[in-house]
Amino acid sequence: MNNVPPSEDVDRLRRVLSGALRVWQVAGSVTADADEPRTFLIATDAGVRLAVHHEPARGWSIALQDPASGARMPIGTHAGLPGLLRSLRAELAPDAPSGRLIVAAA
Amino acid sequence: MSSAIPVSVITGFLGSGKTTLLGNLLRDPALERTAVIINEFGAVGLDHLLVEASNEQILTLEGGCVCCTVRGDLVRTAGDLLARRAAGTITPFERIVIETTGLADPAPILHALMTDRAIADALRLESVIATVDAATGTATLEAHPESVKQAALADRIVVTKVDLADPEANGLAERLRELNPSAKRLTAVHGATDAALLFGGEHDPKPYDTAPAHRHGVNTFCLRRNQPLHAATLSLFLHVLAEHCGARLLRLKGLVDVLQTPGRPAVIHGVQHVFHPPAWLDAWPDEDRSTRIVVISQGLEAGWMQDLLEALDEEVKKCSIS
Repeated sequence: MNNVPPSEDVDRLRRVLSGALRVWQVAGSVTADADEPRTFLIATDAGVRLAVHHEPARGWSIALQDPASGARMPIGTHAGLPGLLRSLRAELAPDAPSGRLIVAAA
Repeated sequence: MSSAIPVSVITGFLGSGKTTLLGNLLRDPALERTAVIINEFGAVGLDHLLVEASNEQILTLEGGCVCCTVRGDLVRTAGDLLARRAAGTITPFERIVIETTGLADPAPILHALMTDRAIADALRLESVIATVDAATGTATLEAHPESVKQAALADRIVVTKVDLADPEANGLAERLRELNPSAKRLTAVHGATDAALLFGGEHDPKPYDTAPAHRHGVNTFCLRRNQPLHAATLSLFLHVLAEHCGARLLRLKGLVDVLQTPGRPAVIHGVQHVFHPPAWLDAWPDEDRSTRIVVISQGLEAGWMQDLLEALDEEVKKCSIS
């Protein structure tokens, strides 16, 4: 079994999320929450704040975070990264191009 | 083996020698039973051949995108050819070659061939051939994004007019290697080249050894992985790329070591968000047993794609275990 050390795993997930922002051309940053393990804070230049928490056994949860109070309002959960990314794009870059995999005839 | 009729698409910028190449190819006895669809009327006289002109108003090339309008007519023309072949009213061709206009983005044409219900079951996209002028190719690639995309999407690149300029000496050959390392490269003088190398699809692993390159908004890189990949990961990975990267993913071609099929790598091949079903090789084509995925994109990041692949596989592994 090729177990990945947790810190490397977390940093990779952070890079996946920050890379997704660049794919959607959203200016902003993704940081690991220093107070809450496996939680990522997404802050866009447009002022949106999201907290994304990963629980390996349960999946992902997303919360809108109030920039002033820090209060979080849950807005969705996802079993895996594909659903998480779809939801984040809907929140952060609703106008970004989106497609659908098409598999040609055999 | 599929009984579908192989289709090759010849693309290339204006004046790069598509028609000259096609004219020469069609004089080859091996290509005698070839139907030709040409987007431009009167482009070449092919008197001994079965020529279908793609009949539509796409000839105002200054008008911008022509590929969006060509799609419907291409499907109709190909469908009509197939119907006439089935009815026995034309010579039973064994291959179709489509010549695009010089300004066309070939992607929608490839998508139509791969997915349109009217023709996709009967036709099999075999190769995309791009012509690049040895003398003017470098300047064309610099100035015209369409030409970059044409070369990026090709399986075979034919550098034409090599009697006029040396593509190795003027940097064109290196530029094409950077742009599309997985394409087979040939040369032509007055359209003469080895037809046998332009058609057919043997699997050559060498092109998967590619160094990253980035010019003119198009970057090329190779994702590598030494551990087998879950089949579900591969599917999720392609779904995510298609969903989020779409048109920026010009071409993806890979040999994938799939956990569920040890010793039988999958060949994956996509144009933007449209992929062929994976083809399974009976064995690895060389000593290298690692997954190699060559990506030609408009600005996508190799690091991000590699991280995404690894993160998805971690998730799939956890699901598989629990």
